[in-house]
Amino acid sequence: MRRIVITGMGAICALGHDAPSVWKAMTEGRSGIGPIHHIQPGQLRNGGIAAEITDYDPANFFDEARRALLDPFSEYALIAANEAIRQSGISFEGEAGTRTAVVIGTGAGGETTRDDLYERLYGEHQGRFHPLGIVRMMMNAPASQVSMVHGITGPSFVVASACASSNHAFAQAAMMIRTGMIDAAVVGGTEACITLGTLRAWEAMRVLAPDTCRPFSKGRRGLVLGEGAAMYVIETLESAQKRGAEIICELVGTGMSSDAGDIAAPSDIGAAAAMNMALRDGGLSPGDVDYVNAHGTGTVANDSTETRAIHRVFGEHAREMVISSTKAMHGHALGAGGAIELVAAIGAIHDGIIPPTINYLEPDPACDLDYVPNVARERKVDAAISNSFAFGGLNAVVAVRRMA
Amino acid sequence: MSTVQQETFDIIAKQAKIELDTIKPESTLKDLGIASLDAIEVIFDIEEHFNINLPNEDTDLDNGTVGQLVEAIERQLAQKTNE
Repeated sequence: MRRIVITGMGAICALGHDAPSVWKAMTEGRSGIGPIHHIQPGQLRNGGIAAEITDYDPANFFDEARRALLDPFSEYALIAANEAIRQSGISFEGEAGTRTAVVIGTGAGGETTRDDLYERLYGEHQGRFHPLGIVRMMMNAPASQVSMVHGITGPSFVVASACASSNHAFAQAAMMIRTGMIDAAVVGGTEACITLGTLRAWEAMRVLAPDTCRPFSKGRRGLVLGEGAAMYVIETLESAQKRGAEIICELVGTGMSSDAGDIAAPSDIGAAAAMNMALRDGGLSPGDVDYVNAHGTGTVANDSTETRAIHRVFGEHAREMVISSTKAMHGHALGAGGAIELVAAIGAIHDGIIPPTINYLEPDPACDLDYVPNVARERKVDAAISNSFAFGGLNAVVAVRRMA
Repeated sequence: MSTVQQETFDIIAKQAKIELDTIKPESTLKDLGIASLDAIEVIFDIEEHFNINLPNEDTDLDNGTVGQLVEAIERQLAQKTNE
């Protein structure tokens, strides 16, 4: 089987505008959660907090002609993809471009554009829509933009599975490389969901925390939405070695499963099935895994269910490894979640630092593992998995390992 | 039985498709077989019916009783009258 390695990584979220800044903030346990800037306080019922990207001006990243085509969810994807491609040093000239894919996970799509258009239509009763509305808000826009900007002419598409979209995207890209259809992929996830419409819909589900996100902690009250993107260059080991590229780590396996149960309530059996499949696919035994970057949303149901799933998969080893949720720092970026969180798993392997689960108050008996509360910890990590479990019962897990 | 309680029980019975007389003030929504999104829908129906907002603190869907829910509704209605 063809081995797959990661040679480029890019990210933008509430913790920073590039992958090194995001990773540094994670190791410092810094929170990007705060009051929402661009929504008037009285328009939200509950808290009005999110993990927004701050000090951001798209004009610093794109010329005017490009900007006209971009909803923020495409801007973020491009910024992260540009960084990953730059780091990797990969070229898409000639045949290489045809043998490269772009696969991007996203849950919500071009929500800012949609909100603005519908405000004009239903709120202001304006008859005229901007002609670029569709090309900005279509779900596939970020994949199209990355392929256009970089001249990537192989298969490109977007994968949607709500909060598991990124990890499903990694699985699709990895499978295409393994079959020999392509040799490389620009892959990850993006989301720009901090809009009034989206927030009101989430509020109505009663899963948003009014105070902050406290994964696995007693007193947790729900999730906090985030936004951003993370993108990676993955390619065959052979291709990376031939180019003399610096290898960040190996992407060894992916696992996917469906609960086929409740539309919202999580299932420990479904979550465990996805983790087991990722381990099998990656040739890892449970004892090989040193770190789990948890889905860890901060809802009462997710965190206790995920804990039971980890016990199921890892048995006694569950108490020997470490688990953390970085969502308390960058928020729940839905379709971008798995991709942003892979920065944490890769950073742990690379630097031997486990990013903490911040905002942790005290243990909850239903969450009885080592979640690295509040302070980062030094620990050698050779293999890690990153969990994503979506509403709708769709689960996807990615396994990465130090390059041996 | 107060009108508020009567109307609340009607909403719960309709949503859960259960007989009205199975609902007691000491029942939790869970006891009545209303979990997950169904419980959130009950709260939504109540908010729409009475035109109030029930904060998350007043809607403990796991352990809160229907009687406590009625009290929370009455509190919100009283607050609305005072405004």
